[in-house]
Amino acid sequence: MKKKKWTLFDYVNTLIMLLVLLITLYPFIYVVSVSLSDSSYILQNKITFYPRGINLKAYKMIFESPKIPKAYLNTIIYTVVGTTINVFLTAITAYPLAKKDLVGKKIWMTMIIITMFFSGGIIPSFIIVQRLGMIDTIWAIVIPNAIWTYELIITKSFYESLPNSLYESAVIDGASEFRILFQIFIPLSKASLASITLFYVMGHWNSFFIPMIYLNDMKKYPLQIILRDMLIFDTARRSESLGEYAALTPEALKNATIVVSILPILALYPFMQKYFVKGVMLGSIKG
Amino acid sequence: MASLKIDKKPVAVPQPKKLSLMKKVKRDWQLLLILLPGLIFYIIFRYGPMYGMVIAFKDYNVYKGIINSPWVGLKHFRNFFTDPAFIKLFRNTFMLGIYNLFFTFPFPILFAILLNEVRNIKFKKAVQTASYLPSFLSIVIISSMVIDFLSPSNGIINNIIAFLGMEKIYFMIRPEWFRTVYVASEVWARMGFDAILFIAAITGIDQALYEAAELDGCGRLKKMWYITIPSILPTIATLFILKSGSVFRIGFEKVLLLYNPATYEVADIFATYVYRKGFEDMNYSYAAAVGLFESIVALTMLLITNAISKKLSEQSIW
Repeated sequence: MKKKKWTLFDYVNTLIMLLVLLITLYPFIYVVSVSLSDSSYILQNKITFYPRGINLKAYKMIFESPKIPKAYLNTIIYTVVGTTINVFLTAITAYPLAKKDLVGKKIWMTMIIITMFFSGGIIPSFIIVQRLGMIDTIWAIVIPNAIWTYELIITKSFYESLPNSLYESAVIDGASEFRILFQIFIPLSKASLASITLFYVMGHWNSFFIPMIYLNDMKKYPLQIILRDMLIFDTARRSESLGEYAALTPEALKNATIVVSILPILALYPFMQKYFVKGVMLGSIKG
Repeated sequence: MASLKIDKKPVAVPQPKKLSLMKKVKRDWQLLLILLPGLIFYIIFRYGPMYGMVIAFKDYNVYKGIINSPWVGLKHFRNFFTDPAFIKLFRNTFMLGIYNLFFTFPFPILFAILLNEVRNIKFKKAVQTASYLPSFLSIVIISSMVIDFLSPSNGIINNIIAFLGMEKIYFMIRPEWFRTVYVASEVWARMGFDAILFIAAITGIDQALYEAAELDGCGRLKKMWYITIPSILPTIATLFILKSGSVFRIGFEKVLLLYNPATYEVADIFATYVYRKGFEDMNYSYAAAVGLFESIVALTMLLITNAISKKLSEQSIW
């Protein structure tokens, strides 16, 4: 294409885009800067774009804190166990539903779709989980949302898009449905499963409401609950359990904890990006 | 034609429809076995709570359980409808939902259109990549950033306000600011993510259209107005309908993190009220009744928008 001269529009547009870039990235820059700065500069409001009096004290404090490493470990466990269950159940449940003439297909699909539009609500859900004795266990975190219907439907559509001849030739070779699913369909759906995995991982990593209602034992808290206590409740009220942070929650520590909590996601970001966009697109063609 | 029909007749075509139910089950037993764990999940954790909603008509007692708790009919609904909180909650939920819909919807479209006009491919890519960074953040972190940036003591927004010689604003305890704060942070957090679909729709536009327009002497703005926007209009319409159907389903987790007693009068919505009544006051039955009411209103909303959209554009979500 031939090069065209920049018009006024181009300059204005570039300016707008730079502004978007700044507004999007600034909070990240600020959080990292504060986490690395000396408290005297922070208290004087002197941090805007870069750290001053650079030090790693806040990060050291994270490792020495009695709660944060434990919570971090909990988050990792919940994410790994939860996502494994999510992806496994989603990948297998979608398979029979992708079969055109499955017996009772209409009933199963209707039953599943209804839950996208109507739910019993948090109180009855809580009571069910409580009745099953799951409160304060990892199961309350990983089981009650084991399948996200949206991701299930995406996976089902993907299976449907695979050529039928694959299935037929496997049947002729005498393969069982289990073998066809695990040795043909799942390996062929890697890209699609990767994007649903990403959404499940993010769901677990960032989840705060579910652990908040289902976990009472502080030793089992994931990172997000600790973050909420430190970042939000700390300023609002200082209850006994938070006293420990309240005494020493300097801004640097707060922000260092944010950095640490988003670090794994940022590190994976370049690799996950394509699956992320893909996941959004897959969702849009389901109808 | 007639001969063709006759030719077909003697051929024995397998007719799958004639299989009896039992035979079908026998044929599909492996598939049904694979489906079973998922079905059990849906029955227990999606239909279980729907059954659990009966506690809205009972006085639920933890020791007696769902079945043995005594029936009280519509007591909780009567209490709720006569409570002054009812009107307030209805208004707050509706207003926050509407504001959120109307302000968060246009930004991703505008962003996608302007991004498409960026000449430098690398810059374009960089802006887009950065734009969905916020959607990886948790609600807790977004909320805490909001509180931090708006803080009257050291928040950057208030620093700017002070720098301009105006009086600092206590955003988080001022009811009149709550909706603005909520919606603005939602725009920040979701714009890049929501733009993905529009960007894809724009990428799909036939380049020949632009070239033809150029030959006709159309400038950039004209091309945007007469080609880009009309081309993505169906995507816009579909997404708008989808979103307006869920206008009542507000991301209440963020409200829970951002509100406080000082802003309850505008910030308290059905979902947060259910949360407080249920988990703080332990009034499960009453909270379940409010939750049930909310679910029904939300579903009605969805059905209405879907019916409207079916009439207007033959687009339906099912």
